[in-house]
Amino acid sequence: MRFLLPEICHNQRGFEALVCLQAQTKDCLFDDIEIDMTTTTWFDADMCAAFGAILYRLGENVNTVKLKNIQPNVEKILSKNGFLSHYAREKIPDQWGTTIPYQRFDVKDDRYFADYIETELMHRSEMPTMSQGLLKRFRESVFEIFSNAVLHSRTEQGIFSCGQFFPKRQRLDFSVVDLGIGIRQNVKENTNLDLASEDAITWATEGRNTTKRGKIPGGLGLKLLCEFIDLNGGRIQIVSDDGYWQREKGKTITAHLSQSFPGTVVSVEINTSDTQSYVLSSELTEANIF
Amino acid sequence: MRNNLELSIFKIVGSPLCVASGDGQKVYDRLAAALKEGWSVMLSFHNIATLTSAFLNAAIGQLYGQFNENQIRSLLKVQDIQPDDLALLKRVVETAKQYFKDPQKFDQAVRETLGGDSDDA
Repeated sequence: MRFLLPEICHNQRGFEALVCLQAQTKDCLFDDIEIDMTTTTWFDADMCAAFGAILYRLGENVNTVKLKNIQPNVEKILSKNGFLSHYAREKIPDQWGTTIPYQRFDVKDDRYFADYIETELMHRSEMPTMSQGLLKRFRESVFEIFSNAVLHSRTEQGIFSCGQFFPKRQRLDFSVVDLGIGIRQNVKENTNLDLASEDAITWATEGRNTTKRGKIPGGLGLKLLCEFIDLNGGRIQIVSDDGYWQREKGKTITAHLSQSFPGTVVSVEINTSDTQSYVLSSELTEANIF
Repeated sequence: MRNNLELSIFKIVGSPLCVASGDGQKVYDRLAAALKEGWSVMLSFHNIATLTSAFLNAAIGQLYGQFNENQIRSLLKVQDIQPDDLALLKRVVETAKQYFKDPQKFDQAVRETLGGDSDDA
């Protein structure tokens, strides 16, 4: 089986290309799958998380995946962030330190994930100088995304992440991907709502909605993330099943993808030049919290 | 007999990063055991750098399923918590109160969303 991969940008078209790859290969078993990257003239590095998750799943079905005809510029970036190390290439040094390595985690790897974030994101000298308030909120947001995947996805194949810093654009892209049941199925099982995938994502990001049931309450993670992105002037994209959802500058757009992603992608773009203090003006005191 | 104690989240979790629901559960187990015996607890956030709602939901939000608001208010105090973390804790507490007080309300929120009249993400 051979698949011709187009350019993979950090947008709806990029996700559309990846779900087409998923759709064409999902039934492969004990197969040789050749991904021809002749026409992949651009690959946004954080999209490695979604790409890697799809390829990992193919490996679980005992397929052999080969990446062929990788363009030099793409090979360079995917080697720097360690993605191609998973496909028999050497990792090359990241001279400018703008990559956040591609990594797979198990759901119980929360401490390992925390170390990864601290080492690869927060304490790297190459990272942009962000205000303390922004750093704290960004760190919290990344952990909220990971926790969300752990709590809701029921993934057995892990959680994938990858990122890229763009110094000139003053943007930092970071994606977390799970191979779980997806938001639509989660909403359906817990609320009996049978929504379209993009509507299920909208539902999960609004008001007090939560799919959480049982002894531990929930329903704040995605809302906090959206609030932060709105304040920061960044962008968040969520792909789950065949739903696409994007929020930027306070505006949300949704779309229906032609095929399904086998889990959920949460991808954020942070404005690193943001100088807001993020100190909340609040009359809260420790005495009136409960 | 002494009937108050101080619990340090940092000591329980062993890290300044309090992000995982599982770590929150460890805090909850100790808090719930103490409150059940009628102990007053001072919960210290000293040296905690990062908190998530997932952690706080498990550690504190979950208490509202086991104890009533008056019990929690009279027996549990927090200290050494940063203002923005306090704001997050407040949201977790308010969400938990709603969650346990009126599960039907969550279902109502579902129906409202279906009706398409909610746009407050």
